[in-house]
Amino acid sequence: MRRAPVIVLDNGASTIKVGVTTSSKDVRIVPNAIVRSKGDKTAYFGHEFDACKDFSSLHFRLPFERGYLVDWDAQKAIWDGIFSDQVLNIDTAETSLLITEPYFNLPNIQEVYDQFVFEEYEFQSYFCSTPAALIPHGRLFSAPGLPNPECMIVVDAGFSFTHIVPIMGGVVIWSAVKRIDVGGKLLTNHLKELISFRQWNMMEETYIVNEVKEKCCYVSTQFSADLETCRADKSRNTIVQEYVLPDFSRNRHGYIRQPDALPVDGEQILYMGNERFSIPEVLFCPDRIGLHQAGLGEAIVQSINLLPEDLHGMFWANIGLIGGGTMFPGFVARLMAELRPRAPADCEIKIYESNNATTEAYHSAMALATTSALTNLAVTRAEYLEGGSGYCRRKFGTDYERAGNEERARTPPASVPAKARSRTVSAMKRR
Amino acid sequence: MPRRQPIRRAQESQPLDAETIAKRTKRHLDELERSNYAEPSGSYHGMDEDDQAGKSAKGRARQTVSDKRQLSGPSAKRKKANMNIRTAILYRKNFATLIEESGLTNISSSIPTYLTAAAAPPKEPTRPLCTVCGYWGNYKCKKCAMPFCGLDCRSVHDETRCERRVI
Repeated sequence: MRRAPVIVLDNGASTIKVGVTTSSKDVRIVPNAIVRSKGDKTAYFGHEFDACKDFSSLHFRLPFERGYLVDWDAQKAIWDGIFSDQVLNIDTAETSLLITEPYFNLPNIQEVYDQFVFEEYEFQSYFCSTPAALIPHGRLFSAPGLPNPECMIVVDAGFSFTHIVPIMGGVVIWSAVKRIDVGGKLLTNHLKELISFRQWNMMEETYIVNEVKEKCCYVSTQFSADLETCRADKSRNTIVQEYVLPDFSRNRHGYIRQPDALPVDGEQILYMGNERFSIPEVLFCPDRIGLHQAGLGEAIVQSINLLPEDLHGMFWANIGLIGGGTMFPGFVARLMAELRPRAPADCEIKIYESNNATTEAYHSAMALATTSALTNLAVTRAEYLEGGSGYCRRKFGTDYERAGNEERARTPPASVPAKARSRTVSAMKRR
Repeated sequence: MPRRQPIRRAQESQPLDAETIAKRTKRHLDELERSNYAEPSGSYHGMDEDDQAGKSAKGRARQTVSDKRQLSGPSAKRKKANMNIRTAILYRKNFATLIEESGLTNISSSIPTYLTAAAAPPKEPTRPLCTVCGYWGNYKCKKCAMPFCGLDCRSVHDETRCERRVI
């Protein structure tokens, strides 16, 4: 029997990454938002945003709130556009679906996913997974001549939050997954506040500030020294950049002005000084904005401490980065600087980067979708009609209550005593 | 002649209690999750096409965008959506409500869920930054406990941030 084509849909809170197995076209990235432009006097649904010309004071309606799908009306409008002849031009009833859902998706939201997939779009079969769980199928950890590692930690820094996801033998160890409530959305909003207080009022300009963030911000490996540099006067300040804000007539997107360029009449300049590195710094130090959660380095340690003791070394040696938040320049160097002093001295630490961290999960999903392995993982429409949502959850392994119980049965309890245990073990070794 | 300081002792002698500061921080964190500036946090309407006309809550509550789109393609609508789908589209719930309805708060905390996955607080406190210029914030405002770096930033703080921020 010929297998039905599979739509791969990485349903991010900021952008949807989508494609079909039978098409040779590369991934299509679609904003997961209904964007209203005052200047254009139009609302753009998802993919239509490509046509937007006036990026001032855009209004965003996002289907996701705090990383979870809450607005199904908006989501359906955007998905409808993607399946229509304007993007994929595909009959959903003739295809299968591989879609991503957020980590620890709520059971009542998962149910609606199933309903939409089978009752509204009538897909033949579907597989729902978290982005990190797809990574073992991809090439993020690939090394020449070696299979993917048994144990890995995937750091997914997304739009709504950042997750640390340990995976063993292709299965996520949910009891050791950690979340930091810092994502791209928060960082952009934080930058917006700083700019609005210090220079221009840009509180309505989320889109423009996001571009500034993506072009100017970097992760500092010497925060203290960089702060001092930013205090120095202009001739010695090597960090400050002059960002030319878009005026929507001559330039539609802003750009960083070259240091020797002559000023043009009427252009508006945004000076990016310590904002350049203090924004991404929040991910490593959420306490700075009053969020009492550990920074990325410490959170990775928290996660590893919850894993079986004898495998710690394997996890330290296989840390992979996905999600747009990991794409700031200097991210890997800083993370290494955070991890090295926290890891046992004899441990090797290796961090795997992706060429394109935003589409890494999509490409991994695509790799899975083109193999026959997907058939065994997916739930068919007939199975759903008989077994309902509960059946889907069991088969996908995303019934967290059940997964948690199974994990505990497999591994020794490692929640609180993990640290105590590690101490006794190392003490014994020393003796 | 000696320099005279204006007497403001009555105002300054009341530092903000920890609870108020925690509340302020929480409000600020909620603000950082907003999609748009000009709407109350947590509310996700917007998208009312006729901004001036459709302001009444009643008119907006049942308006949907997904069924008004003119799209063509092989999977363009064949039949009417069933009850489940209609309910999901019409009755939007915010995340706090969904958490409540999910029943996660009742199950054992040894089972990993959204609620248990948050990273634990850091072991070491972080050094605060000046809320005005972003340099180290070694001093705190007496009235509202916001950090600043020196006298210059303090005066900016007093003029602009402080009054607005104190609850």
